[in-house]
Amino acid sequence: MTKNIDGIFNPSSVAVVGATRTPGTVPHDIFMNILHSGYKGVVYPVCPRVKALGGVRTYKYIIDIPDPVELAVLVFPSEVCHLAMEQCGQKGVKSCIIISAGFKEVGEKGLERERRVKEIADRYGISIVGPNCLGAINTDPKVCLNASFARKMPAEGSIGFVSQSGALCTAVLDYARGKHIGFSKFVSFGNKMDIDEVDLLYYLGDDPATKVILLYLEEIRDGRGLLGAARSVIDNTGKPILAIKSGRTKEGASAAASHTGSLAGSDEVTDAIFRQAGIMRCRTVEELFNNAIALAYQPRPKSNRVAIITNAGGPGVMAADASIDAGLELAEFSDKTAEALEGSLPKTANTKNPVDVIGDARSDRYHAAIGATLEDEAVAGAMVILTPQSMTDIDDIAREVVATARQHPGKPVYSSFMGEADVASGIDILQRSHIPHYILPESMATAFAASRAFEQRLGVEHVPSEPFADVDRAAAEAVIEKARSEGRTHIGEVEATKVLAAYGLPTLPARLATTADDAAAAAAEIGFPVAMKISSPDVIHKFDVGGVVLDIEDEAAAREAFEHIVSSVKKARLEAKLDGVNVQRMAPPGREVILGLKRDPVFGPVVMFGLGGTFVEVFRDVAFRAAPLGRRDAADMIRETKSYPILTGVRGSAPRDVEALEECLMRLAQLATDLPAVAELDMNPVMVGERGSGAAVADARIMLVKEGGDA
Amino acid sequence: MDKSEVDARVRKVIAKVLEIDEAEIQETSNFVFDLGADSQQSVELVAAFEEEFEIEMVEDDALAVQNVGDAVEFIGKIVNK
Repeated sequence: MTKNIDGIFNPSSVAVVGATRTPGTVPHDIFMNILHSGYKGVVYPVCPRVKALGGVRTYKYIIDIPDPVELAVLVFPSEVCHLAMEQCGQKGVKSCIIISAGFKEVGEKGLERERRVKEIADRYGISIVGPNCLGAINTDPKVCLNASFARKMPAEGSIGFVSQSGALCTAVLDYARGKHIGFSKFVSFGNKMDIDEVDLLYYLGDDPATKVILLYLEEIRDGRGLLGAARSVIDNTGKPILAIKSGRTKEGASAAASHTGSLAGSDEVTDAIFRQAGIMRCRTVEELFNNAIALAYQPRPKSNRVAIITNAGGPGVMAADASIDAGLELAEFSDKTAEALEGSLPKTANTKNPVDVIGDARSDRYHAAIGATLEDEAVAGAMVILTPQSMTDIDDIAREVVATARQHPGKPVYSSFMGEADVASGIDILQRSHIPHYILPESMATAFAASRAFEQRLGVEHVPSEPFADVDRAAAEAVIEKARSEGRTHIGEVEATKVLAAYGLPTLPARLATTADDAAAAAAEIGFPVAMKISSPDVIHKFDVGGVVLDIEDEAAAREAFEHIVSSVKKARLEAKLDGVNVQRMAPPGREVILGLKRDPVFGPVVMFGLGGTFVEVFRDVAFRAAPLGRRDAADMIRETKSYPILTGVRGSAPRDVEALEECLMRLAQLATDLPAVAELDMNPVMVGERGSGAAVADARIMLVKEGGDA
Repeated sequence: MDKSEVDARVRKVIAKVLEIDEAEIQETSNFVFDLGADSQQSVELVAAFEEEFEIEMVEDDALAVQNVGDAVEFIGKIVNK
């Protein structure tokens, strides 16, 4: 069923069902908010026992209203919402906001109420925002709808705000009003019985009044839907999406049986998927709005070269440091710019970047410096700093910043008037004129960098993955099926290698040996040198129990290694079931990396890459992406790790075969999407050879999803 | 006390507390949805029933009663215990 979200924001008529006469209560205030917000449609109070509300005639039931009703706002207690919903259906209402609390958030009884209301809504094809929410606001002057219990209607603007928390919304509205930040649409969706963040993202993506979308999420249910919606909105409309995701937990990592599982906590995965989708994740409301005003009010920087103009040396240096930390560069001015600055600033001024117009600067110097630097082709945008000194004409400078920025509409201008009381009126001028203002120069630099990063992201084409045709899915499924039929959820190295080989991953020749002589024979068949490793469903960390011997050069050493491994493991893990010892061709020398996958409960199959070996959990230098992967995704996740320079060659070492790694990641992602029975998979280590020589999986294991449940 | 007397006195109390005409009160009337009782009036109704019938009711149980017929039943049981 297509959801009728436009009926929530642009209704021609609204009924407030369950309104009351008691000021200070939600059912009363919502009706009054609609009545007094300048709503351009018709509003009907549905209010048994009361003749009129705010001078407007009431109706006992919604079905008594003589005209059509497009939107119903339900404010009745949850116990009777099903009765109201039934009448909404009879009346032909297609959109509904349920403000009332007392649904699934209060437990089983509430959940039952929610199911009952949803069943009625589905029967009549009614789309619902809520329950347990603040409501919705549309500031479009043609609509002017405040169907919420927020204290005041926000100003008109270009930011769309979507929140799971109603209480946060009221705080955000107050915060934004103080900074003259306006909104296009504002909605809290509460328990998301029907309309959720995915629906609202698509809607705001199509909304011409919205330029920037802000999300506050506590719980993501449809991770894949969110990833798809965000990608679609960003790639097709160029609208940035910024999000706070709270409620970070470690529950996803606690029960993990693999390196990937223990590293892929729910928050790390959320972080990675947001990055993959292009969603800008923010940790605080302040960071959210710092970035949002930059993106909503100013053009995005065309390069990372910034000009800093300041009347104080210290803050200029702080801004320069913060800019470099954020990945920006201080623009080098052209000769023409240098001449212009030298001609208009006193001799004591610093005409290099950061430009110091000196403490006694008045608005004429700011005008000259901002204008000259913005004219320079090497400058992508300007950051203007002011500290209030006795001769500083703060308001005039603010007006000059606004005027000069308007003369250069293609380049962003941000400001930081440092202080509070003396600079207040100047800040007010800047904020009312949509020049982003930051109390701290560091926040200004971070916002500039965020806007630049988004601009760069837009330039990157997302190429969907092409499945590899040479995989043998049936062979991989046969291995899994065999393990399943034997009641196993753990697939050790020997069988895991078969699964990986079926997907074209670079495995090494190997064979399981059950006696010392068998091990010697296997080693001779495979060719020396070999590695020998314990094969046991009960042993995950083989090194920890003396279960690995490397660089075995002859048959005698192979026999000895077999005996050593078996006795060590038996000593360390008396109860462990031993399948034998895996004899494997020794991996060629290379850098050790880890590749893995985990089935995330929210986002589905997730692929991991990182610096490998035994210390993988110590360094936690890993990157994640949702499968499937395109070449670009694979390349990005490798480059995202801190250890990436090790692969490109540092201190005289040869560059490694990163292209081979990218292909491994893409093949692993295909395996992850093809084989839903695989809950977790580790390839650790994978040895990466020099460029052109490929990679080799030196060890691997697989955990299967339990029949009818998780791994 | 027979059911018709309980019924008549319950309707009288409802009409008084909610300031409505007794004729508007049906056996199936929901206190909130049909008669427009808000949360404060729901509490007032419980208190008024207790006074009228000289009984004590467990407030949570009383507030869980949603319509007039059920209230008559609920109060009748307590009165005739």
